Amino acid sequence: MKRLKLSDILITIVVALVFGIIYKIWGPVYNIFKPFGLHIGDVIYGMWFIAGTVAVLLLRKPGVALLAETAAASGEFLVGSEYGLSVLLYGIVQGLGTELLFALFGYKRYTAFVAALGGIAAAVGSLVMDVAYGYVMDLALWNLLLLVGARLLGGFLIAGILAYYLVEALEKTGVTSLVRPASDKDYKALDQ
Amino acid sequence: MKVGVSNLRVKYAGAETLLFNKLSLHIKEGEKVLFLGPSGCGKSTLLQILSGLIPNAVPVPMKADEVAIPESSGVVFQDPDSQFCMPYVDEEIAFVLENCAVPQTEMKSFIHHYLMKVGLNFEDPHVEISSLSQGMKQRLAIASMLALEPEVIFLDEPTALLDPEGTSEVWKTIKQLNAKQTMIIVEHKIDEVIHFVDRIVLFDSEGKIIADADPESVFSFYKPKLKEYGIWYPGVWTDHKQDENLPAPYEKGQQLMSISQLQGYRGKSSKIEVSDVTAYEGEWIAVTGKNGAGKSSFLLSLMNVMKTSGTKRVRDKVLKTIKASREQLAFVFQNPEFQFITNSVYDELVYSLEMLEDKGVEKVRNWLEAYDLYHVKDLHPYQLSTGQKRRLSVGTAMFGTQPVLLLDEPTFGQDASNTFKLLALFEELRTEGMLIIMVTHDEMIVHNYATREWVIQEGKLIEDRKRERREKGERHAMDFTV
Amino acid sequence: MQWTLQYEETWLHRLNPAFKLIFFLSLFLILLFVHNPNVISNLTLVPLLLVLFATGHRRKVIVLLLIPFLILFFSSASSMMFFGQGTTTWWKWGIIHITEESFFRGLHIGFRALNFALLGLLFALTTRPVFLFYSLIQQLKVPPRFAYSFMAAVRILPVMVEEFQQLRAALLIRGVKKKKGLQRVTQSIMLYAVPLLSQSIRRAHRIAVAMEAKQFNNKERTYYYKQTYSKVDIYFVLYIMAGFGLAYWVGHTFPYFGITDVRN
Repeated sequence: MKRLKLSDILITIVVALVFGIIYKIWGPVYNIFKPFGLHIGDVIYGMWFIAGTVAVLLLRKPGVALLAETAAASGEFLVGSEYGLSVLLYGIVQGLGTELLFALFGYKRYTAFVAALGGIAAAVGSLVMDVAYGYVMDLALWNLLLLVGARLLGGFLIAGILAYYLVEALEKTGVTSLVRPASDKDYKALDQ
Repeated sequence: MKVGVSNLRVKYAGAETLLFNKLSLHIKEGEKVLFLGPSGCGKSTLLQILSGLIPNAVPVPMKADEVAIPESSGVVFQDPDSQFCMPYVDEEIAFVLENCAVPQTEMKSFIHHYLMKVGLNFEDPHVEISSLSQGMKQRLAIASMLALEPEVIFLDEPTALLDPEGTSEVWKTIKQLNAKQTMIIVEHKIDEVIHFVDRIVLFDSEGKIIADADPESVFSFYKPKLKEYGIWYPGVWTDHKQDENLPAPYEKGQQLMSISQLQGYRGKSSKIEVSDVTAYEGEWIAVTGKNGAGKSSFLLSLMNVMKTSGTKRVRDKVLKTIKASREQLAFVFQNPEFQFITNSVYDELVYSLEMLEDKGVEKVRNWLEAYDLYHVKDLHPYQLSTGQKRRLSVGTAMFGTQPVLLLDEPTFGQDASNTFKLLALFEELRTEGMLIIMVTHDEMIVHNYATREWVIQEGKLIEDRKRERREKGERHAMDFTV
Repeated sequence: MQWTLQYEETWLHRLNPAFKLIFFLSLFLILLFVHNPNVISNLTLVPLLLVLFATGHRRKVIVLLLIPFLILFFSSASSMMFFGQGTTTWWKWGIIHITEESFFRGLHIGFRALNFALLGLLFALTTRPVFLFYSLIQQLKVPPRFAYSFMAAVRILPVMVEEFQQLRAALLIRGVKKKKGLQRVTQSIMLYAVPLLSQSIRRAHRIAVAMEAKQFNNKERTYYYKQTYSKVDIYFVLYIMAGFGLAYWVGHTFPYFGITDVRN
């Protein structure tokens, strides 16, 4: 296992805190969408999973998705989220979802497809928390299905596809060279 | 304590050539050594290798027969805003003391001790770091480095991002330390350093050592190299003026721009107030004043990015909207990166063209060649060197027919040759009749290029004075030779 | 988060931060097992009184922070009210079906969300992040590498806010053509997120290197701030216990609502 270096941890947390602020702003946005949209507004819920996928796509190391999503939730909490401490627990479970998915691929595949699955896995995590949290099962069945569908779609689109393209755009700026290890080829060139 | 490397080879990931190939260098105990060379020659990398940061903290592929790093070292980096991890002054030094396992009860007196050493005399050191000036932040960085009680001190361009005032503040502090330790310094502005060091190691752009001697010899034998490498050596301005045949004549042109009763607001508070001024074609107006005086607010008000009252006019056009301002005023931001919105150098200019609804793509090529950017046209703007980034940002802003150019500290952090290249470019535009309004802290630029100076103090334009461009051969107070 | 807000220190600031965190988390779990709308509405008063009168922040700031909570209350309650299952129909219109059961369940969810929100705000307003992270290291044995990274990252946030403003001005000046619909969302994300993130990543990397240059590693270390427990922690527990007890007793003795368990 590649251990996280200090710079990996710090970069992950900084990126996560940026999203933490977005998470906080996202609260009122979501709350305005929610009552009128019959849960269709839950598509935008996917924004709350994006830190995990972005961070792991960026750093490509084990533990990063969980750390990022937890840190983003802590940031959201510390700036006074209206969801209070619940965001911390949600963050941990959502991050765990993404983390497990990337672990399933042995931390070797970082494609759009795996990212999308990672987003969906976080959405599943959030639904698990919802069941524990509040009477979700008491919704009318059609309404419950709408909720689940919208949530998963949000995870797929925002935390998966959008996160993938965001990281791709960051790669173009050359900033990822700071966090990706050098290749064996570079080491071999030293002996010539 | 010996510091050095033998037969060092270094390669950055993905780079085509080695950064250092078979480099050997040894530094004696107590020596004060200055590394000089063009940007990108690897001076900072070598400093980080000698301090042990590479490859321990930053894994860069390297090999050497021998690397002798000191048992304890302290490093001061260039960016005052990215070398602290705590929010308060006392906490930052405490962080270092914690790392050295100093008992908690002794920390307060140590904090006081190290702050005194760098002349930061706070009654209560629980002061927010963000409230300090950039020069003070660098002194704090020196204090926390000293708290490590290092055997060897490394200074990695500690004044590169400071204005002239901050620069001399920092060097004064370093000289006052009277440090017995070995010091290894990378610095581009060597006015103040040159009398302080015992030895200069000069690198060429391939990372080879081309000179290694006392300052006097290096200075007398390698001055053309120093010039070529963009180093701010003493006398660089005198040489520059000889080369460029400065000052060029200035003739007042037609009236171009007028400002009346301008106020710019951030929220409800007024940040800048300019009552009545008129500017003419071919003028070079330097906007000066302390940090936070309102210089940037002034430019932003002209662009209508801030809420404003009063009128601004360029020729017969009244500038009321951002769009109207953009068509008359080309604006170059302090941080060039924020001006880039596409993924390649080429696209940046095409984008500017499209904004002006001009389809002359041939123009892009000519511009790129004129700005010496054609060979990097496919790179992402962020991957350019600092000088190239700056030229591109000027290019994207200037890509129209605006008669006025607004510049927010365009030469900040640039080496001498980039600075002179930029100044030559602006001067050319000026002689063609453009009006140049430039925020700067650099007194030498004001002396040599400005035809007029606007002084801003506490949110008000308080002085509007004519500047005589300096005569050729006239010596400057700052321009001395060794 | 307290990096700019002006406030006076109160007894709540002197609580042990790690203890506060764990205690609040357990309150969170306890609240999940309250199913009586009478009790939960009373419980809301327990944190509300502290938020209003004991955080040491200016009243104006508090009121401003509380506004989103009202939206939250309505929004959390509404889905369940409109679309929840139930047998005693009050009102039906199209797909909206309000029953007595779903109405009270919705109300209950609203109050619970409000409780979480107030507890969270109370924590945020009375905890200095630096103390929290020191306390996490000292009381909960969180590895210093993580705690100090958090502190360093928190320090960058105001710088990023400044950068955001500069970026906004730069984009306005360059005159970015706004795309329509969904493309506009992705456009603005790319325009803002890419420069801000890449700047922050580089900055974070430089700070990490600087921290290592300051000999930050896994050696034994001492601490500038010692976080300890004190009597204040006991007072706080007593206040919460008394408040919760009273809320429970009043809720059962003088119920406002006919329903006492929203699960049925």
